Formats: sequence, C-alpha cells, structure tokens
Amino acid sequence: MASGKIGKDSSCYGYSKERIDEIHNTLPCRESQISTLLALFGKPSHAAYSSIFIYGHTASGKSAVITTILQTLQLPHAIVNCVECYTQRLLYEHILNQVGDVIPSPDNNYSCYARCDNMNDFVRLLKNLIEEKELGSRTLFIVLDKAERLRDMDANILPALLRLQELSNCNICVILISEIVLEKFRTGTGFHEPFVLHFPDYSKDEMLEIISHDCPSDYSPSFYISYVNLLMSIFYMVCRDLNELRHLAQLNFPKYIEPILKGEATVENAPKLWRNIQPHLQKALQTIYLREVSSAQWEKYQLENVEGAGSLPNLLSLRSSVELPYYSKYLLIAAYLASYNPTRTDKRFFSKHHGKINKHKLKKTEKISFQLLGPKPFPLERLMAIFYSIVEGKVAPTANIFSQISSLVSLHLVSHVSSDDQLDSAKYKCTVSLDFIRSIARTVNFDVVRYLYDFV
Amino acid sequence: PKRGYLTPSIPQRYQPCNFPRSPLEAARAKLHVSAVPDTLPCREMEFEDIYAFVESKVLDGNGGCMYISGVPGTGKTATVHEVLRTLEQATEEGMVPSFEFIEINGMKLTEPHQAYVQILKQLTGQKATPEHAGNLLEKRFNRQSAPRQKTVILLVDELDLLWTRKQNVMYNLFDWPTRPHAKLIVLAIANTMDLPERIMMNRVSSRLGLTRMTFQPYTHTQLQQIVLSRIRDIDAFDDDAVQFAARKVAAVSGDARRALDICRRATEIAELQSKDLNQLVDISHVEKAIQEMFSSPKIVAIRECSLQEQLFLRAVVSEFRESGLEEAPFSKILKQHSSICRLEGVQPPTTSEVSAVCCRLGSSRLVLVEGGRNDMHQRVRLNVSQDDVFYALKPKGKM
Repeated sequence: MASGKIGKDSSCYGYSKERIDEIHNTLPCRESQISTLLALFGKPSHAAYSSIFIYGHTASGKSAVITTILQTLQLPHAIVNCVECYTQRLLYEHILNQVGDVIPSPDNNYSCYARCDNMNDFVRLLKNLIEEKELGSRTLFIVLDKAERLRDMDANILPALLRLQELSNCNICVILISEIVLEKFRTGTGFHEPFVLHFPDYSKDEMLEIISHDCPSDYSPSFYISYVNLLMSIFYMVCRDLNELRHLAQLNFPKYIEPILKGEATVENAPKLWRNIQPHLQKALQTIYLREVSSAQWEKYQLENVEGAGSLPNLLSLRSSVELPYYSKYLLIAAYLASYNPTRTDKRFFSKHHGKINKHKLKKTEKISFQLLGPKPFPLERLMAIFYSIVEGKVAPTANIFSQISSLVSLHLVSHVSSDDQLDSAKYKCTVSLDFIRSIARTVNFDVVRYLYDFV
Repeated sequence: PKRGYLTPSIPQRYQPCNFPRSPLEAARAKLHVSAVPDTLPCREMEFEDIYAFVESKVLDGNGGCMYISGVPGTGKTATVHEVLRTLEQATEEGMVPSFEFIEINGMKLTEPHQAYVQILKQLTGQKATPEHAGNLLEKRFNRQSAPRQKTVILLVDELDLLWTRKQNVMYNLFDWPTRPHAKLIVLAIANTMDLPERIMMNRVSSRLGLTRMTFQPYTHTQLQQIVLSRIRDIDAFDDDAVQFAARKVAAVSGDARRALDICRRATEIAELQSKDLNQLVDISHVEKAIQEMFSSPKIVAIRECSLQEQLFLRAVVSEFRESGLEEAPFSKILKQHSSICRLEGVQPPTTSEVSAVCCRLGSSRLVLVEGGRNDMHQRVRLNVSQDDVFYALKPKGKM
C-alpha cells in the first residue's frame, strides 16, 4: 500500500538516460508513479513483483503510463482489455497471441497461437511460449486493463493471475489496471496480495500543464494556457476529466480566436476575448457537455456562424416527443396515473360520486411527493379501469387494445415488473417522465395534472 | 468393438519396500487400514447371513438382491469380500457351482450410466458406450435359454451415487435379477439404512426386496478386539492404551478406520518421543494422537491471529452483543473496531486495512463474509462460537 518516492537518479536500471527522459517528457506530472514503477520493474533480468494493482480515477494516466513505459523500453509485454475479452478463452488466447507475436489475419486464416480453454492450459502454454521465444530471465509483463471485469469471470481466474509467477515458475509480472479499489476485488477464499499503486487525480495546475501541450502552432503557449484557464473557470466545477476538458478546449478554440481573425481584437486583448467567449462556453456547458448536440454538429454550427447558439437542432430533447396511436396515448396516460397516484385516491379522481374530500387533513399528513419516490407497480385491471374512466367514448376491450399495452412495453414506455407470469396478475410500471406525459396529454386535450395526486 | 489387449500397469519400484525392523514399525504395517486381515473379528454374524444368502442363490441357480447398509468404517465391503473369498474356496473344493464375481463402485464412476460400461467390461471384456452396453446387458440377462451360464455376483458399492432422476440405472440393476434365467445376484452397499424408502421410486425399492442387513457401529470392546487381533503377536501396545483409543472412538463414531488411524499415529508419536526401539505405546501417546485428531484448531488459530485480527473478532462479538443478532454489516463492526482500538490505545486502522483484516479472517473461515463487492454492506457472521472467541482472547495469565 505504498507509493514510494524514488529519486530520478536511481531510475536508470540499465536503460539509456534518453529513454527514461522520453518517458518523463511524454507523460508530464507522473514522475513519482513512473519512478516507482521503474523501480519495481528493475532491470529486465530482475525478478519483478508478481502482481501490481494500479488504481485511480478516469483519465489519470494509468494505461498511458504503463503502455508508454513498456513500449519505450521495449519490454516483452501483452496488453489486454478485459471488456473486449469477456470470456476466459478470449483472454488467454489474446495474451498468448501477443506474447507469441501471432496476429490473426486473413494470411494465417485467423488462427491464434493455440487453442486455450482453461487456466491449466494457459499456464502450460505460456511456459512453453516463454521458452520458445527465448525470453530467458527477462520479465514478461501482462497488463489487464479494466480489471474489474475479471471478477465476473470464473472465480479461479483472478487468484490464479495474481500468482501467475508462482504457478508458471517464470519471470512474469501481472499488472491490473482498474478504477475501483482493491477491497472490491476481495473474494471469500482470499488471494495473493498485489503491490497496490494509486494514481492520484491531476491538480488544476497539472491539468493546465498537460493541456498546454496540445497548443496550436500558430499561437503562443501562454495564450493557449490563458484560454484554457478561462475554460476551466467554467468547466472545472463540474468536470475534472482530462480527456473531456481537452476535447472541450479544442472544440471551442475556433470561437475564441474568432475576434482575432476578424481583426476586432488582438492576442493581448484578453478581456475582450473573454467577453466574447464566456456566454458561448456557458451554452456549451448545457448542450455539448451533456451530449445533447454532437461535437460534429457543434463544429458545423461554429463554422456556419449561425446567430445565437439556441437555434441549434436540439436533437436529443426533441426525441422526447413520440408519435403514438390515439388509444396508446390514453393507455400511457392511464399507466402514468396508476403509477404515480395511490390506489386509495382512485375513487376520488375517477368515479363520479366520490365521498367528501377532507383537503385540510390530506395536506397535513401527506408530505412525501409521489413524483420523487418513483413509479409504483400496478396491476393490469387498475390500468384498464383508469383507461376506461378517462377515455372519451366507448372502447371495446379488443385484442387491439391489449396488444397496444404490450407494444408500449416493447417501446420501453411501460415496463413489466413481475416477469414470472405473463398472463395472470401481470404488473406494470410507467417509465416516462412528467414532461413527456404532459406533452402527450396536450395532444389529446387531457389535463393530466388535474388528476395527479401530488398537484391537487 | 474395442478390446483391451494391453493391461494397464504402473512402473516398478527400483528398490523393494522396507521390511519392518522394530516392533513399532511392524505394528504400524499391521495397523494400516489397507492391511485387511484374513478373518474379520466381530462380524461373524453378518458374515454367516450374507454367506448363507449368496450360497443358497448360487446353489439354486436363481437370482436375488440384498441391501447392506451401515455407517462408514463398519466393515461392510470387507465382509462381502470375505464372503466371496470363502465362496471361491468352496467352488474349488467342488461344494458350490462356479460363479463370476464383478464389482462396481458408484464413487469411481464419472456418471451413473457408466455402470453399464463397467459391468459389460468385467463380464465380457468388451468396451461400448453406456447406451449400447445397457442394451447388450439387457439382452444378456433376458436370454431365454442360457444353457450353462454361470451365476454372476454383482457387488454395487456406494449405491446412492447411482441415483439419476429417472432412476433407470438402479431400476435395471435390481430388475435384472428378477428375470427368470438371469442368474444374477446383486449385493448393494450404501451408508443410510432407509435409502430405498428415501430416494428410490416404489417400483425400484420393491425390486430391491426386503433382504436387508444393517451393520451396527462397533462397540468399544469390538474395536479393542479388532486392534488387538491385528497386533496379536507384536509386543508394541499397552493394553490400556488400546482400550482408551477404542472407547474414545466408539463414543464418537464407532469407525474402525478411525481407531486404526489413532493407533498408528500413537506408534509414530511413541517412536518420536523415545529412541528406544522396543518402547511400548502407552496411554499418554494415544491421548496425544486423539488430541491431534479430534481437537478443533480454531481456538489455536484465534490465539495466533495478529493484534488487529483479534481486535476485529472482539469488535464482531461486541456488535453481536449490542444488537442481539448473529449477523452484522461491516460498517457497524468497523465502528466498534475503531472504538475498541481507541480503548486499547492502538492507532485505529483505515477502512481498507480493516477490510483486508476481515477478508483474511474470512478466508481462514473464522468468520463468514460475503464478497468484498458490497464493501460497507457486506454481512459478517462468526464461524466460531462467541464463547470460543472470549476463551481464546483471554490473557494467558488469567486462564
């Protein structure tokens, strides 16, 4: 559980100084992690730690650091993403292919190094492969990215990988990369404890330093840094993800330099540029950051220079209105009312001769909003009863009506709650929002709010 | 059909086995559970019964079933084997017509239907798939005129493992003897007395019939006799030592294997303790062997735990005391743990450290935990009694 601080001078281990410097230069602000890893790896012939567990938040440079070190120093390695390798066979064959330099292609008829179904074969084949490739005592690194997926595989895989060095009797180092802590990996029978290395989040200054690396060549880095600083003042509160910030910086830069290109301002005139970009960035926070408008659309909009960003096609929110058949609309409204109204109030809302309403008492006792608690399940009979009381005219309960209910289920507007029984005592839940149901109700001239318990 | 031309064999030893030199070594060789004696003491009655049953069936040339039950280590298989050895001697003397003996063991089969394959292989040397073997056996036992066919004695050990959902393997095994010309005698062995009533369908248990025999667990005198009969002419054991071992085992299980193992272990302990080769095994050695075999290692494990692990166990117990339940979420135990740490003047560990402690105790099964996935909400239970924890964690001076 240590992240040791090892001085830069000790981080050579037989590699040329240039190589080490190259790693440090491509990966700024990760000096301590890189030197810890290099110290753990040691010389190629040294016995490495049998397993290293690396964790940290999204975009804290975990995979980048490992890949860069392994590739720059040309260490024998295999890098596997556990999301891609969702079965153990894929995982093993992927590792063996990479170690054995076999690339499935049309030339070799998409064959892999060897067929490997279980851990036993994997260890045997890996041992053979290490002898075959004449790695000798050089450490072989096996990197497993998104390692949290390993927990979903067979129970033997994670413990066996953590002690692969012991099982295969070869100089192997298994590196697990994950966003979650090691505690969540622990299982009932325990495993060989790996060396745990934490990659802390980048601070604001570190982020600025990293982002300044992709400054366009036409402008000075200090100009770009001041731009990124402005950008961060708006986005840093909600987003610390380096990838996201870099993406936003690149996306909005053309807008920032627009006054300069037009000749309205100079590079030095920061306040003017700020006044120009600030509302634009505020808008970007609402649209582009939430992916309501795609990046390509945003760029196109900037190029066309449309007046006012509000005229952008708001595609995703437009999708919240769906064309439905007439009775389907009423069925959906009935489902919404059934989900968000307590059963005991049905009589009051939907029958003509209900008893006296003690409004005073109601207001006092009911505090929790049903809108906040989420939809409640309701039986089919209740849905039909509400449907018949709100629909205009006489509707025969034909197969057509019932098939519309099941098609609402398949459209994910209504969901089946108890899936065990399809025919008898089926229960449903309405899964649409209030805004959606209001727009639906408006099209059939039905005032849905008047029937909602929370709003009465 | 495939035929076995080659006999499987294992490589020969380069040196012959060591010959026992001292009385203790000789006693150990004799006391080994695999050294089955020629005559089984204390099972004369059962021997007579099984012998009479099988002999009468062989003499009459018809078939039948017998169900033999009893707890492990009561000499069921050994007795049946002895019966068959005696019967073979009788056929050599011409008293009984000759017969074939085949044996299957449910535990050695990968799958219940493999029983057919084994039976066919032992009967004819033929290899076949389970289905085909079943058909061939069906044909064989159904044959109308089998002119000079020998009686077949089939011993089915670990019968309960031949259970399938449709029970067709069991059904066939007990149905073939009832065929007119099958000449098949089935001796089925299992542990539970009421197995036919419990797991078999009515048509299967009725074919099994009511010829049943139960092997009672050995009493202490019988166990004593068994051990003494094995080391009859070796001067290695004190009489009291054997009696003590027999009484201890009889009180728990009546398992002869257990008694023999304890005596063997006692000879080893005696040998370790003194260099004298003619040392007698006395009651103290047996006592030690029994301690080794019967005592629970949990209290020792708790005593050898690290400080934080012991504090965690105390936290679990005090949480249980407080809530009155036998189960608590990790978050509550964590709270108890840190307050106990403060009381003891120990720096309270971090949550990940406590979680590691919890996982370690869980993997040694002192506590039962769920996986680490639901970390704060994982429920923790003790796998030892609370009194054991207190007893183990009491300071040594106060005991």
